[in-house]
Amino acid sequence: MMTGKESQNPVIVAGGGVAGLTAALDLAAAGRYVELVESAEHLGGRVSELDKIYPGDHCAFCPLWTDIRRVEDHENIRVRLTSRITAVERKPDSIRVTITTEPRYIDESLCVFCGRCREACAADAVRPSWEHASPPSFFIDKTGCTKCGDCVDQCPTGAIDIERPPVEIVLSADDIIWATGFEEVDLTPLPEFGYGTHPDIMTSLEFENWIAEAGVNQGRILRRSNGKEPRNIAFIQCAGARDRRLLPYCSGVCCMHALKQAQWIKRRAPEVGCTIFYTDLRTVGRDYFDYGLRSLRMTTGVDLVRGRPGMIRPLPGGDALALKYENTETQAVEIARFDVVILNGNLAPSQLLPGSEADSPVDLDSQGFVSAGRDGAAPFACGFSREPADIAESVLRASSSAVTLAGRKDGPEP
Amino acid sequence: MAVEVSNNHKQQKATERTPRILVFACKWCGLIGADGAGRKREPLPPNFRVIPVECVGSVEPDAVIRAFADGMDGVIVMGCHLGGCRFNDANHAAFKRLELLRALLEGVGIGRDRLLVTFGTAHEGHQFTDVLRNFTNLIAKKESLDTSWTSSRARMI
Amino acid sequence: MKNITVFLCTCFDEINRVVDYERLCSHLSDDPRVAAVTVSRGLCVSGGAGEIGASVKSGDGRVLIAACSPLARGDQVMRDLERAGVPAFRRHLVDLREGCAWIHGNNPAAATEKALDLLNMGLTALEYKEPSADVTLKIADEVLVIGAGPAGMAAATALARCGVDVRVLERGAQPGGMLGLVSRSYPDNTDPSEKIAAFRDLAASDPRITFHSKVKIISARGYAGNFTVRFTAEGEELQAHAGAVIIATGGRVFPPKGYYRYGEVREVVSQIELEARFRKGPVKKENAVFIQCVGARCEERPYCSTICCPASIKNAMRIMDENENARVWILHRDIMMPGTTLEAYYKKAMERGVRFIRYAESDPPRILGDEAVETVEVRDDITGDRRTIPADLVVLSTPLIAGTDAEAIGDLFGIQRDSYGFFREIYPLHPVETRIDGVYICGSARWPVSSEQAMVQGEAAAMKAAALVGRQTIRASEFSRVPGAKFGHARVNEDTCSGCGNCAAVCSFDAIRLQRRSGEGEFRMVSRVIKVRCKACGNCLSVCPNGSMQMPEMNTKALYGMVGKAFS
Repeated sequence: MMTGKESQNPVIVAGGGVAGLTAALDLAAAGRYVELVESAEHLGGRVSELDKIYPGDHCAFCPLWTDIRRVEDHENIRVRLTSRITAVERKPDSIRVTITTEPRYIDESLCVFCGRCREACAADAVRPSWEHASPPSFFIDKTGCTKCGDCVDQCPTGAIDIERPPVEIVLSADDIIWATGFEEVDLTPLPEFGYGTHPDIMTSLEFENWIAEAGVNQGRILRRSNGKEPRNIAFIQCAGARDRRLLPYCSGVCCMHALKQAQWIKRRAPEVGCTIFYTDLRTVGRDYFDYGLRSLRMTTGVDLVRGRPGMIRPLPGGDALALKYENTETQAVEIARFDVVILNGNLAPSQLLPGSEADSPVDLDSQGFVSAGRDGAAPFACGFSREPADIAESVLRASSSAVTLAGRKDGPEP
Repeated sequence: MAVEVSNNHKQQKATERTPRILVFACKWCGLIGADGAGRKREPLPPNFRVIPVECVGSVEPDAVIRAFADGMDGVIVMGCHLGGCRFNDANHAAFKRLELLRALLEGVGIGRDRLLVTFGTAHEGHQFTDVLRNFTNLIAKKESLDTSWTSSRARMI
Repeated sequence: MKNITVFLCTCFDEINRVVDYERLCSHLSDDPRVAAVTVSRGLCVSGGAGEIGASVKSGDGRVLIAACSPLARGDQVMRDLERAGVPAFRRHLVDLREGCAWIHGNNPAAATEKALDLLNMGLTALEYKEPSADVTLKIADEVLVIGAGPAGMAAATALARCGVDVRVLERGAQPGGMLGLVSRSYPDNTDPSEKIAAFRDLAASDPRITFHSKVKIISARGYAGNFTVRFTAEGEELQAHAGAVIIATGGRVFPPKGYYRYGEVREVVSQIELEARFRKGPVKKENAVFIQCVGARCEERPYCSTICCPASIKNAMRIMDENENARVWILHRDIMMPGTTLEAYYKKAMERGVRFIRYAESDPPRILGDEAVETVEVRDDITGDRRTIPADLVVLSTPLIAGTDAEAIGDLFGIQRDSYGFFREIYPLHPVETRIDGVYICGSARWPVSSEQAMVQGEAAAMKAAALVGRQTIRASEFSRVPGAKFGHARVNEDTCSGCGNCAAVCSFDAIRLQRRSGEGEFRMVSRVIKVRCKACGNCLSVCPNGSMQMPEMNTKALYGMVGKAFS
């Protein structure tokens, strides 16, 4: 029988990505109540936005979906979507947490997905919510909504309330597990990468979205500039990372991410040349190195060049991109021509209160990572909010945080 | 086990009617893919029926043969990617078994092309539509199946 | 039998604007299996599950719901029915919306024909469903941790803190594992013996922890909640009854035999041998050369062992601590130190003056010297120069490989290993879970990791184990990994089973055993299903030559029946 502080107060898990889902399920299975706070309109976080995951090379969706459903069905877990933790106050015997929820005008528990609201909307502000939502529902984009109310009349179940206000609640919690993940950092300040100067210079996450099987191009490998298949693609590793100007650390997941994208490009469009420009090819986890070797062994191959390009520019005419780099293995400085350049590395921990001047609800270090407690003390953090982490590392740390929290005898720390 | 024999339903040439396709779809990748098409209200030809199964592992070879005996022109078995099966690679065994079945179908004159074993993922929504359309076109170009050897449809009681 | 009540949902007129519901109703009313037909506007919001439940409770009443997809609101209706007392085998859902009306909106006649066929198939599926024989199990409240290295110690500590009884089985005389072999841990140079001593104290003082040393495991049987393990400890034969088992048996260091003249010339040592020297006393060297990726990231062992780069940095700086004149080189093929902490550690080493030289796999360094190493020749891959480095110590970083007991442990507990011998998890988002529920893997037994990561993994495994044994009872259906309870388990008709063993061979969860059936002079082998382990995937049914293996949700008659009715 599990003992620990006998507490009626819930544990709050901040973030509904793989780390948060794991922490929530572990605590719930152990009999604790969990409030899962997620800022997006669906669970699943970054992994749900990916096309494929490494090293299994299948889509992340299936196993992720299982855990999302288990979270949604679990009687010990309450999910709060479109919500954030906006304040944390540590009192002698509990933690008072303020959670702010942005309203969804369409109540997803009542929406039957008939689509009449979308037909009625003249402002085109109604769209389906996350494509893998189960059950699916519609979502009103507040920036487009004119508040005419035509959709309200059409809804057969009365699910729409366009005056629904934001909700702020304050809960007494036993503690918080931070699992807020990562976001991209703007690369425009680093002029050598040319980000923003040409549509075919993209970040790796933008590219993932662009070539996704479930995305706008249905998996086809096309250039954003002219819609044609590129002749070749360059992956630039450590863009923004291991860089005193921007992110001094290594973002951890980008080497494998580039290898994964290169492998899938080769599968779908074998004639497209792929070159990965790297500094250290960090294939550290389970089966990762073998996965990277596979890149090299595939028929037309993926080229690996050790070197960090010093200049990426659109060529005159804008038809292709010039990339100047030193191949550190041949000691030659070269200029190569690529149709598409993918920048990899600009990942930083998510801002907890974007656009707000308020104090952070938890102590962060200079890079924005949660300053996690040592030796099992709070604050508890897992996944990228704590340090660069891939899926396995994130979920392992989540379970570790959960068991540490569950085993505490003394309750929350002041 | 008594067997009741009843008359066969009408046999028509493939060119006179759209081919009848039976889809065994696993409830995970297979069905989620099909459901994706439904959510988007993509218009599809109505000549197919879906039987959801827990895993393609439970698609008995006999059931596929029976499908052809019962007048199907083509059978699709849709499962999760190898390595992505939630039943720990149960689809590997299914894949091998169904490949053997395709060889058997070739041997008895049905033809290996009439059984399509495909692995998709739930994410690849358009794949269900593409697979169905391509397969239907392929089957439509074939001669209709001569199943006079099953002129009676056996039913188990 | 006229026992099925059909509820047709129009989904607020979404379905019936394409499909002709009058035809459906008239056709259904003629079906000999159908007792009644009701049309509803929105089953998911009308909350009528209670009434539906009451209406089918008598006799073997069953209900067929024709509505939207299970991925839309259909599943919710099924769950409402479950709560209203209609068990899984008495209900069935047919998707007429995403699966029919919404994809054939331009062809109402064909959509109606298809809807009729789908309903026919649904009725067939429903009439053949059999009750699922769910089992309730008592859970033993102890957890067995096998291995007392960093992973095992962390698992046991976490479990004890949660109030769970834990029994630790250690092969050696003492806890510690790999931690007992290193002299300091990176990145803060902490003394690992402190952790080991702390665990020893905890094991001695905390009544929840029982520690056995010099263990040999004899046998292991059982399933989640009920494992019986027989073993000897210090020669004494004992038995443990555990609800969960955590495998934390670690790995071992690959000895660099045949690499870089190891064993031929003196002062060419493995990293673990250097650690042993540090434990004995200071190591005073003038020119130390570390070579990375020895026997790793190569054809035979195409993996990175995770810990060698930071370990070399740690020991390089230690040598510089112990001799301020020492010069240290690290010859590498990539510095495999991702993240924040490790990247900072790498930077620290560079600032400290550790020299890094990158070499190519195709042109490795050479050891020169007669009786002891004198120089190391290496081609610097970045500058292209060939360099000759004086060396009075060469340290070879070799990978961790599977432990000597890995195969035996795998066989004992029925868990799978990869081609390197490391234990395998089966789902990407569940790295400590194996194909056997209740058996968890962590640390370097699973994949080479640092002691810090091993401790995190041990704690993760402890969490899973604690959640399992924290319950007094559990239903077999709860071990399903799919949303919603799994539908029973495979069942064998022992009268007709021929004992061929196809099913046992194909089962992905090691859930089928061939056992002797005896009675009235009859001795033969039949298959038996371990109910808890069965996930109802159906492979066994497909390979059964005579239909003896069946699934309650869809048996052979149902499947053939549905096939027959697909285009009727």
